[in-house]
Amino acid sequence: MLKKDLGLLILILVVGAVVAFINPRFLSPINLSNTMNLIGLYGLFSIGVGFVIITGGIELSVGSMFALLGVIFIDLLSTYDVSWMLAFLLIVLAGLLLGSLHGFLVTRMNMQPFIVTLCGLLIYRGIARFYTEDATAGFAFGTSFPMLEWLVAGRTFGIPHSFIAFIIIAVIMGIVLHRSIFGRYLFAVGKNEEAARYSGIRTGRVIAAAYIICGGLAGLAAIFLAMYTRSISPASHGNFYELYAIAAAVLGGCSLRGGEGSVLGIVLGTILLQVLQNLVNLLGIPSSLNFAVIGTVILIGVLADQQIMRRGGFGQIFGRTKTVAQPAAERQT
Amino acid sequence: MAEPFLDLSDISKAYPGVQALDGISFSVASGEVIGLVGENGAGKSTLMKILGGVVTPDKGVIRIAGAPCPALTVNEASRAGIAFVHQELNLFENLDVAANVFIGREPSTGGPFRLVDNRTMHAETGKLLHLLGVDFSPATPVAQLSLAQQQLVEITKALSLDARLVIMDEPTSSLTVSETNRLLKVIADLKTRGVSVIFISHRLHEVERCADRVIVLRDGRKVGELGQGEIRHDAMIRLMIGRSLKSLYLAPAAPPRAEAMALDQVRTSTFPEQNVSLSLRQGEILGLAGLVGSGRTELARALFGIDHKLGGDVKLAGRPVAITSPREAIDNGLFLVPEDRKRSGLLLDVSISENISLPDLVSYTKSFLMQPAPEAENAERQRKRLNIKTRSVMAAAGTLSGGNQQKVVLAKWLSMRPKVIIFDEPTRGVDVGAKQEIYELMRDLSDQGVAILMISSDMEEVIGVSDRMAVMHEGRISGFLERDRFSEDNVLKLAVGQSLQ
Amino acid sequence: MKRMLMAGAAFAIALSMTMSAGAQDKKTLAFVVNGASDFWKIAEAGVKKAQEELPNYNLELKYPEQAAAAIQQRLMDDLVAAGVSAIMVSAIDPKTSTEALDRVGGQVPLFTTDSDAPQSKRLAYIGSSNVELGKDAGKLVLKALPEGGKCVGFVGLPGADNARERIEGVKDVIKGSKVELVDVRGDDIDQTRAKRNVEDTLSAMSDVNCMIGFYSYNTPRIYEVLKESGKLGQIKVIGFDEDPITLGGVREGTIEGTVVQNPYEWGYQGMKLMAKVLEGDKSGIPADGLIIVPGQVIEKGNVDAFEAELKARVGK
Repeated sequence: MLKKDLGLLILILVVGAVVAFINPRFLSPINLSNTMNLIGLYGLFSIGVGFVIITGGIELSVGSMFALLGVIFIDLLSTYDVSWMLAFLLIVLAGLLLGSLHGFLVTRMNMQPFIVTLCGLLIYRGIARFYTEDATAGFAFGTSFPMLEWLVAGRTFGIPHSFIAFIIIAVIMGIVLHRSIFGRYLFAVGKNEEAARYSGIRTGRVIAAAYIICGGLAGLAAIFLAMYTRSISPASHGNFYELYAIAAAVLGGCSLRGGEGSVLGIVLGTILLQVLQNLVNLLGIPSSLNFAVIGTVILIGVLADQQIMRRGGFGQIFGRTKTVAQPAAERQT
Repeated sequence: MAEPFLDLSDISKAYPGVQALDGISFSVASGEVIGLVGENGAGKSTLMKILGGVVTPDKGVIRIAGAPCPALTVNEASRAGIAFVHQELNLFENLDVAANVFIGREPSTGGPFRLVDNRTMHAETGKLLHLLGVDFSPATPVAQLSLAQQQLVEITKALSLDARLVIMDEPTSSLTVSETNRLLKVIADLKTRGVSVIFISHRLHEVERCADRVIVLRDGRKVGELGQGEIRHDAMIRLMIGRSLKSLYLAPAAPPRAEAMALDQVRTSTFPEQNVSLSLRQGEILGLAGLVGSGRTELARALFGIDHKLGGDVKLAGRPVAITSPREAIDNGLFLVPEDRKRSGLLLDVSISENISLPDLVSYTKSFLMQPAPEAENAERQRKRLNIKTRSVMAAAGTLSGGNQQKVVLAKWLSMRPKVIIFDEPTRGVDVGAKQEIYELMRDLSDQGVAILMISSDMEEVIGVSDRMAVMHEGRISGFLERDRFSEDNVLKLAVGQSLQ
Repeated sequence: MKRMLMAGAAFAIALSMTMSAGAQDKKTLAFVVNGASDFWKIAEAGVKKAQEELPNYNLELKYPEQAAAAIQQRLMDDLVAAGVSAIMVSAIDPKTSTEALDRVGGQVPLFTTDSDAPQSKRLAYIGSSNVELGKDAGKLVLKALPEGGKCVGFVGLPGADNARERIEGVKDVIKGSKVELVDVRGDDIDQTRAKRNVEDTLSAMSDVNCMIGFYSYNTPRIYEVLKESGKLGQIKVIGFDEDPITLGGVREGTIEGTVVQNPYEWGYQGMKLMAKVLEGDKSGIPADGLIIVPGQVIEKGNVDAFEAELKARVGK
């Protein structure tokens, strides 16, 4: 565990303790279960966005993907009576496809990730709205897909399945990122793409793979989100969600310059964000202050983290420390 | 000349593993031109950094116009009138000449709005450009200037500061002969105006022509001072090297064996009309000499698959190969130690161990998972073998000195089975001690049957280390030299495109 | 470059030809809504009905591409420039856009609907009174909780006029009774947050026994959360608008009732009125300029009839 992650965990525990002290219902099983559900929903795609950020890129279009893939998913089920398994598969596939498109544009066409995914944000939202003629896509009253609902919106012993899915994905992605060759390549490419290339890494493929993974997870998250709200107004569904993902990744120690981050950090970042949302409601803080509270905590969190890093105080104690680059000692020529 | 403008006494500076400067003392009088010469790694750059206030000496006193400056800062240095013309250009290509000259101290107008006073800026710059007799105007965008012209912009910048001491680090390295002559005239002109100059150069005849006094550094020490009348080429060389060139050469254990790599009319995009053919044998070190920009690095990049080659065939051990990416080169046992270590060779803030394993991660996995233990073991093995000076292989590569960084780059390739290694400027920025170690390693490798192609612009190195030499000029090989015909003269002639007959 | 100019010129000519063709034949009446939603599809049905009765006019329903005041304003300016004869608008931010509305109103007859801009030069307002709708909902609450109780409301933008007026209407009616509206949670029109607000309210307040969904999507979210937590029927639900889930809940008896507006009539009556005014007959405009189309309370008894009528109008 990196010290960054530990700091974040402490922050979560402190915030949680304060909320629980003011309103003990924070710890009630139903509230924890609900919060876990949202952690699962937001966490799924935050991991994908985190991967892209680690390569030094950015993914801004996931929110719009949720609208587009969500309305298609609901339409497949309710209008075209496609079996839910097939629809599920198609949507994840569509997510992978959009991810590949981004990867292609970034690596082969040498476009900047910010521009590619910003255009994605606009285009997918537009298509979603056009596709439904701006109407809300939803199921008719009483429609139910027992198996699908159990799978993506059900709970076992109070633990929401979205959360279980998130944990499974997080463990897999954690192993991929921190233990596999591909993970090592992701960090190398994010740190110094040229040196990675000189070391024989096919950097284009690595970067494209990050976008594809992100797209696939966004497709998966789109299904979970669609089944949570059960209705999608394409003009607003998923608005700003890319920013939640970026915020979670940054809180979790991903550097927007690339080459840094951990899955555990992203998980903790997501947890903190959702606990904050929960806090706003439980403490009866005016809901208009919602964004302000989140923004403030991110700002303070990242600032504190950097100050601690700079002092270098707390680092040495907790196992593996980050190797901080010092300006290489001045050398004579 | 009662008081020298600058006086240094007993300046010392040590870095981990190397004494960069050791008790340097000298003074510079107003209007005096000092030639500062020495090999790479002699301590010239460290001395410059100390004078610029970038680096604080461990020991010694700096006096400027009689006043001691114990901890000279960058600001103090520039306020005292010390200006630099760096070897590496620090220009903003997107701005015009005048804006570059006045960057950070733009004359302003419009009172509180602090608008840039372009007219004054251009007029001032124009005067200085006229003085230098250049062929571009203050409004020319820097991006449109040649390297030599950009060098002149740097000089203009130093002049505009009203400097009392201008320190020029290899200012002529990319200038043509006529531009160099003009620069030497500018130096003479500065001298008559009472401005002092420290002129650092490898081109010893230029030093001969302009310096009043020459100070020679070697391995961080001042090894000699030549006054008027004593400044001669051979005298400087003797002091600089302090030993014969031959001592670098390590003879191979056995004569070269079978052909390892053959290039047949290989063309690169930089010189599309020219082509390169050469043959490299196992157990030999082939030096590739030539001027900067002669197409050597581009050739190396194309061979290694970074850039696409335009045409021609490459054979490795007699087998034709089509290499289109570094991965394929590496899989074929063809490795490159790149010129720009920090940009292309290493992940500076990643551990030494992870840097070493990067090209060959498959060897450290079990059922698709990385195994940290064998990875660290290998790194440790390489550390011992290459004598990498570090506390731990878990330290970031960026914390190492240049020579040790280069060893890490080498360790990457030595952990695998090299057949051909291309070294591009293997000892650039490497201190003297580590240099010798790297040469020994190269010889060791070649004795084990590895074929080595060494690109080097360091005359001493390319003459001292190679078994055979190819010299490039504008994208083609202008000649091959066997050891018995190695001489600075011959290399230079071929490098500028003359033939030896 | 030259080719681009040519293409641009050709495009401009084509555009002006289609526009003038439309404008010269018939007078165009435009209905500018505040954003895309199902709600306006009902209004569109009313506009279509009016179109049948006004063959000499060209009736159009226009959506701004985003629910932003500036974008809606630009849309109206473009329409005026294109030569429409009269505009009816559901202004996105009526309070602060008086001046901009007057600019439009100065050139063509301007009507407001849905949200009024009484300070502007609009000729009349056709629509519901949100305070009245709120009062209707308040009566539903009182009916559902004769013994009194605690209510929590859910809304997209608590500060928006329509939300404030509806809340005010509810509070007006329940004042003095044992029923209390303890909080209204906003969600910035994010449905995930809307649902989460309901979940959090359930965990934060065990004694809540009534929930009011002020925006059309709030009631379905309340319904879903209560269904998932098995509290349907225990907590009384009162809604606004006619989301299919809401109507389903009403039919099922798990939602007490919903207060619906009548956008169909706004579209129909509004268009007819505009045509009349253009023909010089201003008798349809009352002295206070307010034409209130009353809302309708949908309960278990009349939900089937209402839904049938809705289907017939929207054609779904």
